[in-house]
Amino acid sequence: MGHVLPENPYKDLDAQIEALMKCQPLPEPEVKILCDQAREILIEESNVQPVKCPVTVCGDIHGQFQDLLELFRIGGNCPDTNYLFMGDYVDRGYHSVETVSLLVALKVRYRDRITILRGNHESRQITQVYGFYDECLRKYGNANVWKFFTDLFDYLPLTALVENQIFCLHGGLSPALDTLDHIRALDRVQEVPHEGPMCDLLWSDPDDRCGWGISPRGAGYTFGQDISEQFNHTNGLNLVARAHQLVMEGYNWCHDQNVVTIFSAPNYCYRCGNMAAIMEVNETMRKNFLQFEPAPRRGEPEVTRRTPDYFL
Amino acid sequence: MEDNGDDSLYPIAILIDELKNEDVALRLNSVKRLATIALALGEERTRKELLPFLNESNDDEDEVLLAMAEELGKFVPYVGGPQHAAALLVPLESLSVVEETVVRDKAVESLSKVGAELPEQTVAEAFIPLVKRLATGEWFTARVSSCGLFATAYPRATAPLRAELRSLFGQLCHDETPMVRRAAAQNLGKFAETVEPEHISRELIPLFQDLTTDEQDSVRLLAVEACGPLARLLTKEDSVASVLPVVQKFAQDKSWRVRYNVAQQLYQLCEALGPELSRTELVPAFVKLLRDTEAEVRVAAAAKVSAFCKLLNNEAVISAVLPCVKDLAADSSQYVRSALASVVMELAPVLGKAATIDHLLPVFLSLLKDEFPDVRLNIISKLDQVNQVIGIDLLAQSLLPAIEELADDKHWRVRLAIIEYIPLLANQLGAEFFEEKLGPQCMKWLEDQVYSIREAATHNLQKLAKEFGQDWAKDHLVPQVLGMIHNPHYLYRMTILVAIAALAPVVSQDVLCNLMLPEVVKCARDKVPNIKFNVAKMLERLIPLVDSSVVEQTIQPCLLELNEDPDMDVKFFAKQALARCGEGVTVQ
Repeated sequence: MGHVLPENPYKDLDAQIEALMKCQPLPEPEVKILCDQAREILIEESNVQPVKCPVTVCGDIHGQFQDLLELFRIGGNCPDTNYLFMGDYVDRGYHSVETVSLLVALKVRYRDRITILRGNHESRQITQVYGFYDECLRKYGNANVWKFFTDLFDYLPLTALVENQIFCLHGGLSPALDTLDHIRALDRVQEVPHEGPMCDLLWSDPDDRCGWGISPRGAGYTFGQDISEQFNHTNGLNLVARAHQLVMEGYNWCHDQNVVTIFSAPNYCYRCGNMAAIMEVNETMRKNFLQFEPAPRRGEPEVTRRTPDYFL
Repeated sequence: MEDNGDDSLYPIAILIDELKNEDVALRLNSVKRLATIALALGEERTRKELLPFLNESNDDEDEVLLAMAEELGKFVPYVGGPQHAAALLVPLESLSVVEETVVRDKAVESLSKVGAELPEQTVAEAFIPLVKRLATGEWFTARVSSCGLFATAYPRATAPLRAELRSLFGQLCHDETPMVRRAAAQNLGKFAETVEPEHISRELIPLFQDLTTDEQDSVRLLAVEACGPLARLLTKEDSVASVLPVVQKFAQDKSWRVRYNVAQQLYQLCEALGPELSRTELVPAFVKLLRDTEAEVRVAAAAKVSAFCKLLNNEAVISAVLPCVKDLAADSSQYVRSALASVVMELAPVLGKAATIDHLLPVFLSLLKDEFPDVRLNIISKLDQVNQVIGIDLLAQSLLPAIEELADDKHWRVRLAIIEYIPLLANQLGAEFFEEKLGPQCMKWLEDQVYSIREAATHNLQKLAKEFGQDWAKDHLVPQVLGMIHNPHYLYRMTILVAIAALAPVVSQDVLCNLMLPEVVKCARDKVPNIKFNVAKMLERLIPLVDSSVVEQTIQPCLLELNEDPDMDVKFFAKQALARCGEGVTVQ
């Protein structure tokens, strides 16, 4: 009689996650606490964070919050489904604040169920140009929240390794990094540099041409199939999974299945017309790709994609 | 006491300070809390200090002005009630002439609110002069804003003033600026509702007719919207004489935007004119709109098909409207087909059984197979309306094949719509027929690639078990569900756990304790932590459903084992569930 349920130690955090799932941003002081807690967790993680299967691997989100919810409708909710996000949570979409807040809150609540890596947009410089900074200013009236998050971004792991077989990262390989141990030795807690190995991991792209090439992005390199094969061979891997590039089907194999690109922002920038995808890796390491389209938008005006007759 | 007073006033002082801050965000924040400031200042200081200050701050950013216009509309109680509310007219009047439309519209809305609360004398002394001032203002923004205030001013004006207001409105309808004529057209219906019937037909109808022949299509477009209200206010004869010809002409207007608006308004007019006149006078116009060359117009007309047909009799629908419906079902625009699909099912009760079978079923079937998923979705979500009309046998024969096909649709939202329709279908089909036709599909959805479909499939099973009873569930659901618990993919095993928990409250104790529970407990040894903590979550749901002896002997030991798991999430959910055990039995 009179037995009292033990207090849920995560009551406040669970309430925050519930609010965020409704696209309601957290008050500034709560963001600060959340980022402090997240830093304590992320600082313990490796540059090559080991991840167990089963896990669902996801690419760029870019503040498209409604589509992140759609991703969860397709792939299942965290913590029931394990997730690995490969960066670029912010910029370009309308809801960078809510998107990154939700993913960080989930990380703090379920650290073993979700892994969040750093993308090239998780940086002070890039976010000042592509929208996250302005969004913080608009939603909070000052830049404090932007500072909390960009300071936290310095602690995000650069890469992850699923069961020693699938190497996951945002961009691609670097001529300065032949082995995973080279990556483990980097000092990652800093703003993404303009050049060098850490920059390459977040900026590089695979290419049809062999060897290393100059990247048209102005940062990182392009790398050919020979490079991917050598890297996978040297490190006993069978796949590099990365994001960073828009692919129309949401995922795209290249380099003779040594590399796969996964992009999880459908109709990127609300106008590219691309599908999004996620990669489910089950407990036997079998891969299954799920594609999805943008979530139907309630409240936002529906844009007719039809060409008016008089243009024909 | 005094300290307290100071403390509570301190934030107000900040708000007042921030009204003058350089930062827009801070000013905006203060303006949005004007009511708090006013309450703190008291009524007199609000009138004598706050309002004059606001009068001087009307060249601020539009965002701030918009908030101010909105707040002032709720300000009557803060200035000392209606007898002092005239003080609010000054700042609102200056807001109603600014350049930004949104601000003006909000100021007019607030002026109407305040105006409605003013005492008679103030209306005559302050509000009506304000309307007149705006209506004759030099700059067009003032004249545009005035149009929205006539409906508030008119009913409270004396007879001579009323005549003056009518004549002023006439001037606005003939204003040289199209923007003003547009505002007049837009407000004509609302104004007419306050005007005496004899003046409507003598003075407003000629104005209406002038607006309907305006050279600007944007003015004609808005005049269309007055058709419905005017027809309601006039006698039937007057409507036929003065509104009907205008509508018929509008339906053939050279601007598609005007025709589009007619298509949207036509139904209102039918209501006002009654079925007899609608049939003879408006059906031809409606048919023209359904066959319009512009897709946007057909979309608007198609969306009104059912509402319109409900006002007609059977023959008129079959002879005039149905041929159009058949053509629209094959329209080249997917948006037209989608609009039709969202309402066409409602025609079934109008037409009755025989005509539905003859004429509508083929339309339904073709829309169910439409290449555009929204069209299919719109049909599925209203299938129940057809059941009631044609009966289940026919539905089964004709629609079931289409439904079976849609159960595997490549768009998951179409599959979801079908699942949501299944319990209703089950009720109609009966256990045996259902099992034969749709039973296997219900199990297949548990292994859908999309999480939301798997989740919906578990809810569906629960509803089926409720519909067909414990015994049926024991034979036709439980063995199949339990048979899927060894799926090699953890997400699919998890779905089965959820399905078991969903079925648990609707099966017998015997099935629950002897068939289901052992399987759930076995899953506690799964190698994937996610399965283990879902076992804990599901066991928590089972606790209230079983005897305390089962809790003690089976559930609690299993949870205690999970509570020792190295995974922190497994531990957490096991602990939560163990606490629930403690509610019924004493934990040692």
